[in-house]
Amino acid sequence: MADEGPDEQRFTAMYDECRQRVWAYATARAGRQVADEVVSETFAVAWRRLADVPDPPLPWLLGVARNVLRDGHRAQVRRESFAAELGRWAPRPATDIAEDVAERLAVLRAMAALPEGDREILILIAWQGLTPRDAAKVVGCSPAALRVRLHRARRRLLRAAEAETPDGQAEGARGTRPQVGIVSEEMS
Amino acid sequence: MKDVLRTLQEARPAELAPDVPADEGVRRAELTRAMAAEHGRAEDGRIGRGRRVRPVWGLGLAGAVAAGAVAAAAVITTGGDGTEPHRGGAPTVALDARTVLLTAADRADRQPETMRAYWHQVTVSSDTYMMGSDGDRYAIAVRSRSESWTPSRPGGKAWGAQQDLGARPATKADAQAWRRAGSPAAFKVEVPVAPGAPGRLKGFTAKTAPGPRELSGSPLVDGDKVFWLGRNVTMKDLRSLPSDPARLKAGLLRWYEGHGTESDAPMASDEWLYTVARGLVMDMPVKPEVRAAGFRMLAGLPAVKSLGKATDPEGRTGNAIAVDEKTPVGVIRHEMIIDLASGTALAGQNIMVAPAAGAQLPAGRTMNSTVTLSTEWTDAKPR
Repeated sequence: MADEGPDEQRFTAMYDECRQRVWAYATARAGRQVADEVVSETFAVAWRRLADVPDPPLPWLLGVARNVLRDGHRAQVRRESFAAELGRWAPRPATDIAEDVAERLAVLRAMAALPEGDREILILIAWQGLTPRDAAKVVGCSPAALRVRLHRARRRLLRAAEAETPDGQAEGARGTRPQVGIVSEEMS
Repeated sequence: MKDVLRTLQEARPAELAPDVPADEGVRRAELTRAMAAEHGRAEDGRIGRGRRVRPVWGLGLAGAVAAGAVAAAAVITTGGDGTEPHRGGAPTVALDARTVLLTAADRADRQPETMRAYWHQVTVSSDTYMMGSDGDRYAIAVRSRSESWTPSRPGGKAWGAQQDLGARPATKADAQAWRRAGSPAAFKVEVPVAPGAPGRLKGFTAKTAPGPRELSGSPLVDGDKVFWLGRNVTMKDLRSLPSDPARLKAGLLRWYEGHGTESDAPMASDEWLYTVARGLVMDMPVKPEVRAAGFRMLAGLPAVKSLGKATDPEGRTGNAIAVDEKTPVGVIRHEMIIDLASGTALAGQNIMVAPAAGAQLPAGRTMNSTVTLSTEWTDAKPR
């Protein structure tokens, strides 16, 4: 990108700073199949509306990506792509593994069982490292409302994760439970 | 499990870490795609659309116009020969074809459109022919300007205006050879009756002086057919094409019968689709979202490659994409030069890249080209 004006420089710097985070957000939400497309559209919007982009730009960009995801990809598709992604991240271990590894896998799989709204908050806080204030900007609610939603999401995650860990699991459940990727529970 | 949020943090897949660098090719493509649009000043959040009023789709493809008023006499091939490929010389890395086409699609998608009485196109075509004797051959470019008015309603007349712009030596080197030959003002040109057809030739005389402009009108083919899109189509057909690339592709492929658009010679389906879709995005009065779908469909064809920045015969710069076709006379490169800022095709040109044994054309010559100067809907009467 040679011959750049100040707008081009600002935009490129913003892209370099945030691109991977926007991609990670979209991938975590809906899988890599759609992530590139979401990133592309998000930065196209950012360029067109460069004058509106605040500093720091990340919460704004994630908010745009969120809208792109919502408008362009049906909930059903998002859910299925996420589940497919999770199948790669959290394969079911064949044999005994260390406890902390087992816990991480259980938490990952538990994510698939959560309502999309919960998952979204958890991704913003735990994976994007946003403050509740910034996360609230992304989803368009007040920081107080976000804290309430985070509290609930966390509680549901814990419950789902405990159901996933071997000692929290009902007897004989393994083997008949659907694999991640074909999770059949209804998620809003 | 004590702190489930912390465990979740630790469980984040490595590829989702914020400091993983983006692939350089991806970076370049995404930045280019984003910044191809106008930007910036709009505080109201509206997309800055259509500020540049330059409705331009190319013409170029013989057979795009379904018979009718404009006898599209673009002789693809053997007798000809041509100008050097015009390549803009900046040593930048070429964007891949997919990026070029998807960017064009994004821009095309946002063009405003109001249908009027006529779809009006102005194009300049050029065909190149070899002249002179064996020892001192040179190429001339025979240029003509065409205007066409395609009625938006059935039952009307299609109108066309044609003017020979005159023949001239194709390149500087050709001009020198032409002067050595005595600077003739007229050239006897012979071309095969059909592409690749042996034997029979038809001849005409090309002059350096421009000819008169001639306007004529004629009824539409079958009363309502306006373009050719694998078959003759009506304006209604064109206006109801799907804006989904996959559906558009499937719809077009129904008319593919295993052979080329200009002859019965076999042609692969990707090449055929390219030929047909090039006509669609360059010439036809389809809805903006369908033009975008055409670009997106082309982006999905593996045979389409990128040639980087290029200058069209009118000196306008854009990004060139192409498909190579193996023909009896040699490998011909079908190029389309696209302006990324407006999502329009500026020009189409066919280059001989690898002449078959005995072919008259040397490698690298432009065989013919068509440049679109303007396309627009208009209520103004043909004149």
